[in-house]
Amino acid sequence: MHAFRRGVSREGVTAALLVAPATLAVVVLFVVPIGYVLLLSVTDPTISLEHYRRLFTVPLYTSVMLSTFRTALVVSLACLALGYPLAYVMARRSDALGAVLLLAVGLSFWTGFVVRTYAWLVILGNKGPVSALYAAVGLGRPPQLLFTSFSSTIGMTHILLPYMVLALYGVMRKIDPSYLRAAEGLGAPPWRGFVHVFLPLSLPGVVNGCVLVFTMCLGFYVTPILLGTPKDMMISQLISQQIEDLLAWGFASAIAVVLLCCTLGLLAVYNRFAGLDRLWG
Amino acid sequence: MNMGRHIPLALAVLVALFLIAPMAIIVPMSFSSAISFEFPPPGYWTGYYVQYFSSPSWLDATFNSFAIALGSTVFTLLVALPAAFGFVRHQFYGKSAFNLLVMVPLIVPAVVSALGYYGFLGLLHLVGTRTGMIIAHSVLSIPIAFLVLTATLKGFDQNLERAAMNAGAGPLRTFFWVTLPVLRPGILVSALFAFLHSFNEAVVAIFIAGRDASTLPKKMFESIRLESDPVIAVVSTLLTGAVFLGVIVSMFLRRRHAHVN
Repeated sequence: MHAFRRGVSREGVTAALLVAPATLAVVVLFVVPIGYVLLLSVTDPTISLEHYRRLFTVPLYTSVMLSTFRTALVVSLACLALGYPLAYVMARRSDALGAVLLLAVGLSFWTGFVVRTYAWLVILGNKGPVSALYAAVGLGRPPQLLFTSFSSTIGMTHILLPYMVLALYGVMRKIDPSYLRAAEGLGAPPWRGFVHVFLPLSLPGVVNGCVLVFTMCLGFYVTPILLGTPKDMMISQLISQQIEDLLAWGFASAIAVVLLCCTLGLLAVYNRFAGLDRLWG
Repeated sequence: MNMGRHIPLALAVLVALFLIAPMAIIVPMSFSSAISFEFPPPGYWTGYYVQYFSSPSWLDATFNSFAIALGSTVFTLLVALPAAFGFVRHQFYGKSAFNLLVMVPLIVPAVVSALGYYGFLGLLHLVGTRTGMIIAHSVLSIPIAFLVLTATLKGFDQNLERAAMNAGAGPLRTFFWVTLPVLRPGILVSALFAFLHSFNEAVVAIFIAGRDASTLPKKMFESIRLESDPVIAVVSTLLTGAVFLGVIVSMFLRRRHAHVN
């Protein structure tokens, strides 16, 4: 009995030693900095909740928050519409084409946001291919594409699409193809098999992908700043403006805290129904 | 032949082209002789490559990117590897809380972390230093490395270690001659993920890198914003090429890993 107890405590000590560095690193070098933001939001320049009151009552700021949510929703739906067929084909083919599609997704997943944003700057720019196409067809000058909410939405959709595809693919790959063969064997046409068997089984992937893309989009920084317009700001642009132009640390921190709470709230709901572990598959 | 098969296939190929085409445009852009962003290019030369390789500020940013990515990969693995072992192989009090804690850097929006680091590292006088960048990037990479490593460890057959011990190998010998070689592909993949994450990371870099520790993504962001420097196309091409190599290597490693297990 005594030996057993000592064994358990030694196991406890080993485990503690193994996980201590990670715990310490995340707490001291991550939780503390985030706590500092929280602190600044209610103490800079004076102790008050004034920043939060301003954020929720000044129409300019509430409209920024609403437009950020709207953009995140549009981007999530666009990613889903584009990503679903791609993930579907990737999951159902194990041949060379499947591998090439996976390579395409992997390549864009790992190419930096700045590089891909730059590509859209060229494509939608005044001297870009879209403009050249307009002239070639004889339509003259295209409408202003760059520095609009359209260009920032298309850029973010392009950048977040691989996350959606990989989330869908992770779930779809595990769907047993024999279910679909069974549906077919029972006389269902392929579209029926898809609607009644494949689609419902792929829904967890849809939820994962949408939560992932939506939360990433809420705080998206690089693309809205480079491709978007200050007239139709997102939350991150507001933070950047407050810090860079106005050095308003307290107010910027309050915006960041609200952004963090929105993200955490969404993930908490997800966690309640699905368990957070599944999000990153 | 069969509409039901061909429509999804056609859609999938179109979407894959939508993903790849913008990056494919970058390569001819880098050889363009235009002084601003123009596509199709009016003419071709390699002058902007020469400019890149002779510009101290671009080369400094390249060096910083590599140094910071390498530093944070090492730091991330030193922290995440023991944590993954502890998590997969031991039972301890607060295990699920620990799991959640490790994931926190992945959950928090990058711009919030960036603001936090700007303030926190500012207090420690580490804004604008490579040390500060390595600290920030390491912590942000821990969740990804931890996810890959725990998945690898869960698939590890501990009978291999028992067999080695029974054959007379001590714990250290077993670890270095059995455990580590079997886990190597997983460790390499997590190292690659950590490296690429730091190498690509822009938001935290924009906030805290300053001039002295400026990395490529930060320098590109600023060049795009302030001047339309055509050297950006060269840097983008080189980065995309590097990522292409990295992805191929990691696909190869994963395939080999699948064989091992």
